[in-house]
Amino acid sequence: MHRHNYQRILFVAAALLLVRPAAAEPSISGTVTGADGKGIADAVVFVLAPTPPAASHVAPQVVDQIGKAFVPELLPVVVGTLVRFPNHDQIHHHVYSFSPAKTFELPLYKGEDAPPVLFDKVGVVKIGCNIHDWMAGIILVLPTPHFTVTDPEGRFTLRDLPAGTYTLSAWHALSKLKPEDSAQSVQLSQDAAQVAFTLSLSAARPRRAMHGARVEP
Amino acid sequence: MSTAIARTCCLLICGALSPQVYGQYAVDTDKPVWLRALLDVRVVHAGPAPSWTDRGPGKTRYGGSPTDSGFERASRFVLSELAVEVGATLPWDIRAQAQVNVQPDVADNYRPWLVQATLRKEWGNEGLGWGLQTGVMSTPFSLENVGPAWSPEFSISAAALDSWLWEDISLAGAEGEWWHTTRSGVKLGALVGAGYGGDQMGRLLALRGWAIGDALGGINGDLALPARQERTDIFNERDQRPALYTWLTAGDEHDIASLKFGFMDNRGDQREAGVWHTHFSTVGLVLHPHPRIDLLVQYLDGAAKVNAPPNDSSISAVYVLLSHHYRRQRLSVRYDAFRVHDLDAGPVSTSEHGNAVTASYLVQMGLRHRLAFEHVWMNSRRLNNASLNPTPDGWQMSYRFRY
Repeated sequence: MHRHNYQRILFVAAALLLVRPAAAEPSISGTVTGADGKGIADAVVFVLAPTPPAASHVAPQVVDQIGKAFVPELLPVVVGTLVRFPNHDQIHHHVYSFSPAKTFELPLYKGEDAPPVLFDKVGVVKIGCNIHDWMAGIILVLPTPHFTVTDPEGRFTLRDLPAGTYTLSAWHALSKLKPEDSAQSVQLSQDAAQVAFTLSLSAARPRRAMHGARVEP
Repeated sequence: MSTAIARTCCLLICGALSPQVYGQYAVDTDKPVWLRALLDVRVVHAGPAPSWTDRGPGKTRYGGSPTDSGFERASRFVLSELAVEVGATLPWDIRAQAQVNVQPDVADNYRPWLVQATLRKEWGNEGLGWGLQTGVMSTPFSLENVGPAWSPEFSISAAALDSWLWEDISLAGAEGEWWHTTRSGVKLGALVGAGYGGDQMGRLLALRGWAIGDALGGINGDLALPARQERTDIFNERDQRPALYTWLTAGDEHDIASLKFGFMDNRGDQREAGVWHTHFSTVGLVLHPHPRIDLLVQYLDGAAKVNAPPNDSSISAVYVLLSHHYRRQRLSVRYDAFRVHDLDAGPVSTSEHGNAVTASYLVQMGLRHRLAFEHVWMNSRRLNNASLNPTPDGWQMSYRFRY
């Protein structure tokens, strides 16, 4: 009985040694706020410089179509990402983009019929549906895998960055500022760094989805 | 100090070396006001009888030409439609939308017709919600006119039933709508509306009969009547009694099947000179047994009556449309049957009966362009026409540009 207890104590001690937390990767956290001091949701904070070499493998991403809307409406990806556009509505959609960073169209389809689209150029890709005018989304193609999206309070945390000096930028679809105007240099050492961005947003009145008999096929 | 200098230098270098990268992040934000347009030009070969739009007995939108000995087929290049749509999102998420159409053959000139001018507000979401709409609009009964700018989705021309609904009815009024998806997955919808301007509704059917086309009536438009110099107003209000209509729908959440029922009564007061009292019921079934197949069936039955002259008529029409589409291509076949029955045996009978078969092939080229070919075989017999079958068949080829 005693022997079993010793073995158990030794096992737990060994396990504790093995799972001792390693030194945490430093992170950059902060806020993106508007001129009124309120947090801005759905802003993308990303490392503008230095730009890492292109990764050999990039995980594919998904923009779904649910309830006549793109889900998510904003998808930041690193350049070289394949994005699928499944349509889980019961009606057909015709996804397209005229953006210089990626011009494409996926003619009328439902379900998983559409092939994935490769986003191989940095920039903003606005997507829409040729049938439902109000459907709009943005795929933000970034030169770096180091990006994050602010929460509803405008807070963000960039993790998995090695120590170094970075230029960070905050982007928002309605920002009046160019990214260079919001760019900040951050020295990241062993301690977490803090950055605060202030963006001025233009007024927007997005078109809401339409329902009812006149728009149902 | 040195850190600040380093940061500044870093920013300057970034800015100097990669301005093209920064520019790529600019967003062309959605404007609160939007504009769209549709241009449809065609080569048509129909007839031989001149179309009703030319005051002839022909029952398709384009017909032949009169000759010394009768009629002959004619080929023409025509501007069928120029539609301009403008919309805006207003405060409180109110959606404003207007559409004007130029249809030179139907209007007999290039004057734009106001097809739609509405304000719409919705509450709720796809699962449960309701909406209010007010302004100038047609009825929601057509199962086919769900394409861009209210054009037929499955073919160039709509069925006789839907052609009439869109060419002859334009009301100024308001409607309320409710929709709900139950827990068991049944989608329900109920729409109730009222509008002024339908006092001549039905006159076209009695005096011309059913026709196959794709013209959209406007509130400031009028339509030709066969063998008459006068035209009939699309919007005409004489008795100050609004038309009432309702549209009830039920379907499954996967949109495999939906059943629709509509009723309209223009409540025309026949004691007023020239006021038609027209009412009808319509029932429609939309089936999607396969994601690439659309099957539509719609039936309409009603009556159009006027105090004088004696042109009271009962009206009925039905169509079955089968359409298959794959990516950019759509192939549709439709069978129409229609009938007008003279109720008061006046000196000029309004009776007619007929049927039609329409075959269409549509190819979408990119987002902007569409090519379409359609052949209509029509067998129409109207008692007071010298020509028993003025529109045996005809074809049209359409190029459509959508902005």
